[in-house]
Amino acid sequence: MMKNFKNYFLLILISIILEGLILTFYNVQAIAIEGTVNITATVEEPSPPPSGGGGWVPPPIATKVIIQGKAYPLISVTVLQDGKVATVTNADSQANFRVEITDITPGVWTFGVWAEDKKGVKSITFSFTTNIISGMTTTISGIFLPPTIEIDKTFLQRGEILNILGQTAPQSEVSIIVNSPEEIIKKTKAETDGTWFYGFDTTPLEEGSHTSRAKATSLEGLSSTFSQTLGFNVGKRMPEVIQKTDINGDEKVNLVDFSILLYNWGIPKNPAVDFNSDGKVDLRDFSIMLYYWTG
Amino acid sequence: MKNYSSKFKNVIPLLIIGFALFPAITFAAILYLDPSSGEYQPGDVFMVDIKIDTEEECINTVEANLSFSQDILKAVDFSPGNSILTLWVKIPTIDQESGLISFAGGIPGGFCGKLPGEPGEINLLGKIIFQTKEVSGEQISAELEFLESSQVLLNDGFGTPAKLTTRGAVFTILAEKLETPEDEWKEELEKDNIPPEPFKIEIHQTPEIFEGKYFIIFSTTDKQTGIDYYEIREGKGDWKIGQSPYLLENQELAEEIKVKAVDKAGNEKIETIGPIKKPFPYWIIVLILIGGVGYCLYRKLKIKYQKSK
Repeated sequence: MMKNFKNYFLLILISIILEGLILTFYNVQAIAIEGTVNITATVEEPSPPPSGGGGWVPPPIATKVIIQGKAYPLISVTVLQDGKVATVTNADSQANFRVEITDITPGVWTFGVWAEDKKGVKSITFSFTTNIISGMTTTISGIFLPPTIEIDKTFLQRGEILNILGQTAPQSEVSIIVNSPEEIIKKTKAETDGTWFYGFDTTPLEEGSHTSRAKATSLEGLSSTFSQTLGFNVGKRMPEVIQKTDINGDEKVNLVDFSILLYNWGIPKNPAVDFNSDGKVDLRDFSIMLYYWTG
Repeated sequence: MKNYSSKFKNVIPLLIIGFALFPAITFAAILYLDPSSGEYQPGDVFMVDIKIDTEEECINTVEANLSFSQDILKAVDFSPGNSILTLWVKIPTIDQESGLISFAGGIPGGFCGKLPGEPGEINLLGKIIFQTKEVSGEQISAELEFLESSQVLLNDGFGTPAKLTTRGAVFTILAEKLETPEDEWKEELEKDNIPPEPFKIEIHQTPEIFEGKYFIIFSTTDKQTGIDYYEIREGKGDWKIGQSPYLLENQELAEEIKVKAVDKAGNEKIETIGPIKKPFPYWIIVLILIGGVGYCLYRKLKIKYQKSK
């Protein structure tokens, strides 16, 4: 009896370990922050006193934030500070960008970085939170914005080709993930201008709803987080689940849209605010808006 | 062979049980309190941090509902200072009578936990300030726990709820005062001499809200004790407590609008906008009237003078 119990226990344990290994192999952690981002906090060396002596008072040491990484070539990059636009900068031909924020109050800040590719498609916001220490320069480096992604159809027949495209840093390796009951991963290489394209054959997909998303690895080895997830239907049409979160149509998702959401809280006076079409404006709609936030 | 077959029959259900025991996708979050225990004497004022561990997932929305032993503890205040939540859909409220505290807020772009090299703690949602009441008899335990209605949503574009684990706190309240009661909150308030962060006021008009009337929006944070309230003043009117979005009384936009953000320590930051439209120049009408009256008088005097001649 005891021996049997021991065997049963061992079997259950083996199955748990087995499942853990399967999940690790398929990298199921879909939303976790990944990549090569790193934070360093350093004290800037004060400038030496001028020769000749006298009553020299050293200047106060500034509290500064430096944010640097890769986006897409020759586009503008928007940096958010606690959800508000802090600055907009340009990426160079190799997609590198760098911004410096001075005069910042020490404390916990959430920064966001997003960009619009050369076709005007927005990336999702890459967000990170850090504790800014007084008198120190905090450098956040190794950021690689997720690629932009577009699909040419949202409904197609099985066997048709779904064109998936976007932009990333030049010559990056792009992994395209199509979610059906089984995850299908395809790879392609971005051109020198960062544009990428993959013609996905839908033959292996079952009829129904599917999603696609992408992530990239730059030539220097920086890895991005996942792009926005786009949905498409094979064989049968399904209603679109998530509506646009830019309620007032000004191409931004910011405090104005948030104000409209608050005004419609509960039972929506305006159905456009009920992003997930469940008949109410609640925390889930708020969460959807925050995902698409541009500041 | 028969023996192997029967053994195999037993193995399959056990494997299924094993798989079921291990959650397939563990998109989890932990809401917890810091400190989770402590010993206080009657009259002490102490702070409890509400924190989150996202377990390497990205989240963007938190609703926390907590209950506390209202007969032993008095919830004095809630501090959103240094919170990762920057937009609030439910401002923190304390209901002392029912012993409930609740709030809901979000992080634009999401929060994914600590990055490698992060120098400090960055997972604070807010602080509850409690004062212990007098207890009779022996020492007593006071509880603070999260209610099941608390939720955390993933930053995935669908508002998917994260699998949530909560950890409450138990505090021991001593029966008698051994020394002068401590007040952690007072110390915190005295340290805070920095006003709230600068912010922008924007005037908008959209058919989606306030029946297309003009309103203002504003938002700021305070990294020390947190924002307490906002006040709005139109022209030379009185300061009125309000929040964003705020419907303007003067729809002509002819007056200056001021918004004052006040933190828990009383530090203020005032921002101004407008007037957008110049007020009607009434002085021109007065000038025309004076000119007209003057001209009439002149004409009358002139006629009178001519007649007398």
